[in-house]
Amino acid sequence: MQPLRIALTKGRLEKTTIELLEKIGYNCDEVKNKGRRLILPVGNNDFEVVLAKAADVITYVEHGVCDLGVVGKDTILEHGSSFYELLDLGFGKCRFALATKKDTDFYSGYNTKTIATKYPNVTRAFFDDKNMDVRIIKIEGSVELAPLVGLSDGIVDIVETGSTLKANGLEVIEWVTDISARLIANTASLKLRKREIEELQKKLEAVTK
Amino acid sequence: MKKYLRITPEGTKDFLFAECAAMDDVCGRIEKVFADRGFKRVITPGIEFYDVFSLPCSGISQEDMFKMTDNKGRLMVARPDSTLPIARMVSSRLKNNVMPVRLYYKQAVYRNNPTLTGRRNEMMQMGVELIGTEGVRADLEVLTTAIQTLQSVATDFRIELGHAEVFDALSDELDISEDYKEKIRLSIEGKNYSALNNLLDKLSPCRAVSAIRSLPSLFGGEEVFEKAQAICADTKAAQALDYLHHIYSNLLSLGLGDKLIIDLGLVQRNDYYTGIVFTGYINGIGDAVLSGGRYDELLSEFDAPMGAAGFAIDTDAVTLKVLADQTVSYSDKPDVLVYAADGCEMKAIALVQQLCGEGKKTQFCVLPTIEETRRFAELRGIAEVKIVE
Repeated sequence: MQPLRIALTKGRLEKTTIELLEKIGYNCDEVKNKGRRLILPVGNNDFEVVLAKAADVITYVEHGVCDLGVVGKDTILEHGSSFYELLDLGFGKCRFALATKKDTDFYSGYNTKTIATKYPNVTRAFFDDKNMDVRIIKIEGSVELAPLVGLSDGIVDIVETGSTLKANGLEVIEWVTDISARLIANTASLKLRKREIEELQKKLEAVTK
Repeated sequence: MKKYLRITPEGTKDFLFAECAAMDDVCGRIEKVFADRGFKRVITPGIEFYDVFSLPCSGISQEDMFKMTDNKGRLMVARPDSTLPIARMVSSRLKNNVMPVRLYYKQAVYRNNPTLTGRRNEMMQMGVELIGTEGVRADLEVLTTAIQTLQSVATDFRIELGHAEVFDALSDELDISEDYKEKIRLSIEGKNYSALNNLLDKLSPCRAVSAIRSLPSLFGGEEVFEKAQAICADTKAAQALDYLHHIYSNLLSLGLGDKLIIDLGLVQRNDYYTGIVFTGYINGIGDAVLSGGRYDELLSEFDAPMGAAGFAIDTDAVTLKVLADQTVSYSDKPDVLVYAADGCEMKAIALVQQLCGEGKKTQFCVLPTIEETRRFAELRGIAEVKIVE
């Protein structure tokens, strides 16, 4: 049978996940010396690691070409649809926040507010819950710029330390939700390869607690 | 203006030759199972009134449906599901029929999925509905038909079994809004332990809360019942568990082993399920291929209260798998090509019929000259060319 295939989010999450896998006893030398390869064996061919961009991790898992994935909750909230979210891995922690220019009263007045964000779905859901109509503008780069140049009243973005906001005269007025890395599984894989997946999940759970 | 006259809409595709052969093979095998078990085919319209699917329990959100209007301005949809139209049909056309009735369907459903996700917007489905009765016998009949259906198209499959009442009974014990309940249900459906814990931590601790917390992890074999009974004792969920255990024990005689799974976290998106629920998976297909259950309340929505259960199988997904595995042999090449000289056409056609009758795949050549006929035979790799003159 083909080894379990795990999609990892390239970059920071990849590094921490590899550390975790080593902690539970898998040899990850191939992944660390990956060169330009994108599919890499782990341990004694116990499973394969696939490296992908965050949103693609979800796509690969959802279509069942990867059995498991490690991806940030931010990506799940923005792109997610149908898969199992098995475990909060506890690293890659940050938060979604609503921020505005310092000392402005965001909720005052009856005019429809404009929000700039890289995460339109998260933003839409957040304001839907408040029964608030907002105009959402998708920005690809530094979202902090939008309220400064007058494009929007506020932003919804990931905040880690808050230093970028501070340096640009912005402040968090509301926390939207907490974010961390999650272990996700394809729905069919979890049923068809229950024992292998559960075993790995338990091991990971033990070292993330 | 740009014209889209040479491409198909996103999420749809043309099926050619081997693809149709594989589809016919898959559907044929399933159809045999259904017919052998006494189910009779029905066909419902491809377009229906939106109202049929806008019931709160339908589980199909309006953005997932393709809509249009009729000439009176009434809202219509391209059928997104077959169970609701069948419930509509039974409640009207079969109202005075001797019950129960066994129906099966083989028809496409249409869903307006988000773009660029690679999902199919037109899906061929087959399924059965056993309507007009409830109880162990009916559930076993539907479940064994589902298992036989999976067996007819795959060897490596799983079927998992749950009961809608387990979650419903436990969540009824909590003093929470329908919205909150739905959030909890979604997190169980997605086996999203962290979201589930967050939701439950906000409620005052009680037995129902801790029972719901463990639902998504209650899946596996016989041992699940023992664990679940300990958690759910003296609740309404306990009755549902006993019933499920009874069904499970009966199915054990089929000798499915690991292929039969209990999953108490199986809460279907369609709210209309009231009793047993089940889902089938086939190795190599990354999504559930079969899903069904008991839906005793649905017919009341159409003013014809009666018990009902059924399931649907995604035959397109199975067809793709069969094509990938190349388990169906397919050839569109004839063995013999018959060319007729001018004036001998009818004689040649008669010969074609005769050879076909003898079991030889034979085609009448429609090209005008013998040179073209030979060239065509060479290009297609047809072994024999007969000339009638």
